[in-house]
Amino acid sequence: MTLEAEPAAAPLAASRPAVALTGVSKTFNPGTSRAVHALADITLDVAAGEFVTLIGPSGCGKSTLLRLIANLIEPTAGAVTLGGKSAAHARADQDYGMAFQQAGLFEWRTVVRNVELPLELKGWSRGRRRERAMEMLALVKLEDFSKHHPWQLSGGMQQRVAIARALAAAPALLLMDEPFGALDEMTREHMQSELLRICTDTGTSVLFVTHSIPEAVYLSDRVVVMSPRPGRVTGEVTTDLGEDRGVESREERRFFEKVTEVREMLRGIGGATDDELAIERMRTAGVDDR
Amino acid sequence: MNATTARLLRATWPPVVFGGALLLAWQGAVKLFDWKPYFLPTPLSIADRIQEHFPLIRAATWVSGMNALVGLLAGTVAGVVVAFALMRFRMLNELVTPLAIALNAIPIVVLVGVLSKLYPPTSEVPRRVMVMLVVYFVILVNVAKGLRQVQPTHLELLRSYAAGPFAVIRKARIPNAVPYLFTALRIAAPTAVITAFVAEYFGGQQNGIGYRITTYLRRDAALGWAFVFAAIALGLAFYLISIALESLINQQRGRGPQGEHT
Repeated sequence: MTLEAEPAAAPLAASRPAVALTGVSKTFNPGTSRAVHALADITLDVAAGEFVTLIGPSGCGKSTLLRLIANLIEPTAGAVTLGGKSAAHARADQDYGMAFQQAGLFEWRTVVRNVELPLELKGWSRGRRRERAMEMLALVKLEDFSKHHPWQLSGGMQQRVAIARALAAAPALLLMDEPFGALDEMTREHMQSELLRICTDTGTSVLFVTHSIPEAVYLSDRVVVMSPRPGRVTGEVTTDLGEDRGVESREERRFFEKVTEVREMLRGIGGATDDELAIERMRTAGVDDR
Repeated sequence: MNATTARLLRATWPPVVFGGALLLAWQGAVKLFDWKPYFLPTPLSIADRIQEHFPLIRAATWVSGMNALVGLLAGTVAGVVVAFALMRFRMLNELVTPLAIALNAIPIVVLVGVLSKLYPPTSEVPRRVMVMLVVYFVILVNVAKGLRQVQPTHLELLRSYAAGPFAVIRKARIPNAVPYLFTALRIAAPTAVITAFVAEYFGGQQNGIGYRITTYLRRDAALGWAFVFAAIALGLAFYLISIALESLINQQRGRGPQGEHT
């Protein structure tokens, strides 16, 4: 009892988890013959500053979970909070930034104006947003390309612009859905290191979805393993690879041990590619309705 | 600028030389085979008629050109406005789009005959309405597609920025539809000119290029051909202006001159 008196002075948000999911379920088209149970009873926390990766076979609802947190879709049951706020409230305040497998840059905007977009919607003045966008581009080492158009950049560079854009409004949380999935292995490893550096520098919490076990182990403080149909959390692996992971970390014994641990956890869960397609379709339909 | 001029020159000299050679061959063939002027006049005699009757040709070009232009602008405005309405109301979309496509398959230009009964015989309105209708469908179908076919990722991102419906329209749908509009204009502009000519056969005053061509080809073939050349010039002018606009827009949006797509 007496121990609890102390943290009251600290900022509230810092003491609260970046994401808290309690008993979250999601059923698409409930009560119809096309009902799909995408997620069942997910309870999961992401601590402030923590890097958590969701991994699981196709159709386990990883992306659905990310979209629930982003308030792009509503859960059928359960509670979603971001830093103590409701998901809807957090979205309205742009408390999170998002990045997808496709960079999703607006091709009619220059690189710098792409990064400015979330700030425009927040109502920032032109000067302030340009300044902030240039800072973000410096962070992803693309300040020399600010006046270029997206089609003039390589896939990896486009993805870096997307990350700069996701970070522009200084969100406490990054939600990333296989952002490096379309990149070649070399670019991918480079981007992983860059992302870790940026998140350590900015203290941003990350919830990251991937299919790649080495990527999950290398990036995360914690790997959450999910099973499909309906998606459930079946296990967790804490990596403990340390704060400053470098190229060498990928060759350390500990890294391989963790990769094996995750792989064994995934084994026996089985995949379901058809379901993934079905859920994908439902998800797009759900977004279109808005 | 110099490089652009050089590229323009490189692109234009072959058709110009080819066209010139064609005219020469034409002139030569008529002389060689001694074709009668009512069958095929020589390019030189056509040039003479153009000089002689320049005010008449200019007046006729002006009439048809204005009909095409007014119809084109009115049709574009109407097409864009209805495309926006369709975007806002899904029901309307399901009602109107199939109808629009079906109507587009009908040679509606003949409606000029009907419209002419509603207006005084000297009115240019029926023919302009006709051009407008033809243009309207082309613009509507394309702009509606541009407003609708926005990348799902863009919509999700904008939602994640808490963008309201108007912000989504302003930041994603309108910019996405701009190239569709200009592509539609490139298709619609020559169509507008053709419709303006054809509409002249179905009513209204007998003062446009279309009417003059049929009249004079019977009486004075060279003069008829002079109007044919005026018609070609008018069609080309509309087309060139519309492709210039399209490439200007694409360049402004940072696409390459070849119109590369991401």
